[in-house]
Amino acid sequence: MTDADDRLRALFAGDEPPARDPAFSTAVMAEVARRRFIADVALAGAVAAAGGFVLWAFWPAVEPALLGLSRGLVPVMACLTLAATAVGLLDGWLVRPSPRNHG
Amino acid sequence: MSPENIDEALVDAAQAGSTGAFARLVERHQQALRAFLRRTCGDWAHADDLAQEAFLEAWSKIGRLETGASVRAWLCGIGYNKHLTALRSAGRNRAREAAWEAEKPPSSSTMTDERLTLEAAMSELLPDQRACIALCLAADFSHAEAAEALGLPLGTVKSHVTRGRARLLQALGGSDDGR
Repeated sequence: MTDADDRLRALFAGDEPPARDPAFSTAVMAEVARRRFIADVALAGAVAAAGGFVLWAFWPAVEPALLGLSRGLVPVMACLTLAATAVGLLDGWLVRPSPRNHG
Repeated sequence: MSPENIDEALVDAAQAGSTGAFARLVERHQQALRAFLRRTCGDWAHADDLAQEAFLEAWSKIGRLETGASVRAWLCGIGYNKHLTALRSAGRNRAREAAWEAEKPPSSSTMTDERLTLEAAMSELLPDQRACIALCLAADFSHAEAAEALGLPLGTVKSHVTRGRARLLQALGGSDDGR
């Protein structure tokens, strides 16, 4: 390193931005977040569109299977609903505080 | 932990999708990248725009950064390519030149004669020469690191630095006392 190099380096130092610049860093990261959000939305939209297209294309084959499945599930769902209602009622009755005798 | 190791850990985390780690990389390298671009293109506002674009491209390409590679050199390389692309866009360049006069940084009004002379001499250098000077003389890049960042052969970088340095010193009225 020579005196001439030191002189040049000292003159170039006037161009130096601050070592920490929160405004700049925040602007960059805000743009990163914005682009990431747009990419995520685009991906979700593409997946939803692809799913919708597949369902539409295979609907004639899927519909009978779904109907059969739903018929088979009706008794099971009814039993589950009754059981859930019973558990809810029983639970409420069991945890209900006992009446106090204020008299 | 050395700065290189910190960078490596941050790059690993950013490659795994951590925006927090990438934010730390931005904080650590914004000064070097912006200083390089300011010296290379001369227009501070434009340089900061290029630096922001370079960071955004870096985020999208972070997965391609090899382990152990210099993050600083990689970022400067991206920034320099953006600068060259902007230079090739003649229309934008003309508009920028007009805007430059209006948006010249406040410090320019308080620039010393030497700084103005240096800036004028820098503007007369070829883009590659300016970039080599900005990295090797203004910053502390080695010739090899500058060659890697700019995608130039090592010999070309050395020659650009030697010739550019001589021209700057000549413009400043100094003598080449070392090399």
